[in-house]
Amino acid sequence: MNIATKAFFVALANELNAHPEQFKVHGEADMVAALVMRKADGDFAVRVAFEGLRVEDIKETSVAEAAAADYYLDGPLAAWQAMFDDILANGSASGRLTINSLALLGTDIRLRGDDPMGVDKFSRFNQTLQEYLDGAARVAVAAG
Amino acid sequence: MTLTQDQTLTDRGDGDGRYDKLPTVSPLGDALDWKWLKGANTEWGVRPKIGPRGLTMLDIATGSYGVVPDNPTHRSMAPRGADIDPDTPDMGYILNKKSDVWADNVVELYEEAVARQWSATRDIPWGELRELPSDIEHAMCQVCTTLTEVEMIAADLPAKWMWRMNHDFLEAKMFLCTQIMDEARHAEVFRKRALANGGGLLMSRGQSEGLLRTIIEAKSYTQATALMHLLGEGFILDIFRMGELISPSPVEKRMFRMAMQDEARHVAYGTMHIRYAVEQDPDVAEEIHEALDHGEAVLTAFGTNQDFGTALAVLLGGGVEHVETKGFALQADMQRKQFTSYLARCERAGISRLHRTKLPLELLGLDPNTILAN
Repeated sequence: MNIATKAFFVALANELNAHPEQFKVHGEADMVAALVMRKADGDFAVRVAFEGLRVEDIKETSVAEAAAADYYLDGPLAAWQAMFDDILANGSASGRLTINSLALLGTDIRLRGDDPMGVDKFSRFNQTLQEYLDGAARVAVAAG
Repeated sequence: MTLTQDQTLTDRGDGDGRYDKLPTVSPLGDALDWKWLKGANTEWGVRPKIGPRGLTMLDIATGSYGVVPDNPTHRSMAPRGADIDPDTPDMGYILNKKSDVWADNVVELYEEAVARQWSATRDIPWGELRELPSDIEHAMCQVCTTLTEVEMIAADLPAKWMWRMNHDFLEAKMFLCTQIMDEARHAEVFRKRALANGGGLLMSRGQSEGLLRTIIEAKSYTQATALMHLLGEGFILDIFRMGELISPSPVEKRMFRMAMQDEARHVAYGTMHIRYAVEQDPDVAEEIHEALDHGEAVLTAFGTNQDFGTALAVLLGGGVEHVETKGFALQADMQRKQFTSYLARCERAGISRLHRTKLPLELLGLDPNTILAN
């Protein structure tokens, strides 16, 4: 599945919403995260709204609107693809390709945001976001 | 006379004579006024809307019950919003201004903390621990020794101040209770890891204690929270974020990830408390700067703790044979990120340290403009 599409993120949300047991250990999360994928033929951005133990809304958006999320993660498509390829290969993100490590290293994918309370949510709900992204392994398997 | 629950909830009964014949003296001879039933001066009839996840503290912050006074009139443990006798005793609170303890995100953070508690016994996959090379096991045990030592300061510090906080700031005190529980769990998980894989607790030296003593002996709560939340916990948060990079197995990864989320809540409270305090009283800024002037110097001493530092470098390098070629370089890079995060956090808190910090920014290769953009 093409990762730079709304359909991909909707599929991840459906996967999460169908398996709340994966998220219960992390507890409820309320945040709006945005992911920005830079690419030559036009950037792709998506906003993912988490509420409680669910993803309630996925919206394809402009890069400018992505900045209005609690925080946004900004990087080239190749970096995002490498992250999702790793998830697919290992069942979940591994090594330095977890979203936390990628944002911490900041060389490919950067954590950004205007509101400090919003940016804090990246760390506060980090494992919920990671579980959501790790769903790519199951989505891809299901799609295959 | 027995009232049904429905009657007590819906009918004050003040005017219809229903309660006129209630006894005026108790079986022990004490006078009874039944004021709670027929005349308490409170906002009666509040009915918060229950949300999809239950009834949160945000849900019940309605009407006058949601109003947190800037300067409470009482000094007792009487609950905010109750009809409080004027002669309630003074509990000795010294933090009686909202700006002394409040943060705009504190109610949300309390609910979040309660919803995201975890168990160091149950939620860490201890069974996946495998025998590690001796240097890696030693290094992980040293890191866990130091973390076990420093984590409980973030429990002791709020405990020291909480009984001095006016009870009208209940939600802030409740949040700090969750922080105390979080830190107990962190001390637990790191102590468990040090002991779980055939290693043990290793070195403890004076540098760590110097930092902890500076925090616990801070003169005011706001100075203390600047030292603890903004400086100390901020640095530890970055170490936890780094945890994935130094973890030899899924056990440590999970441990650091879970602790990271807790620590981020504490830092979020501290950052927003400082911001609120400075917004309400700009003069507080200098008091905070003075604390951080000293705190940064002590933290630098902690940062040179050879046991913790070299253990981290060994883990970052992947073993003692790579410590010089890889470990120290990665550690220096991580330290730059820690200082950048700290200074950016100060900006967010409204306490710009860029032109005041004693940290050797040039030596660290830090550009203030990069920090501002962080």
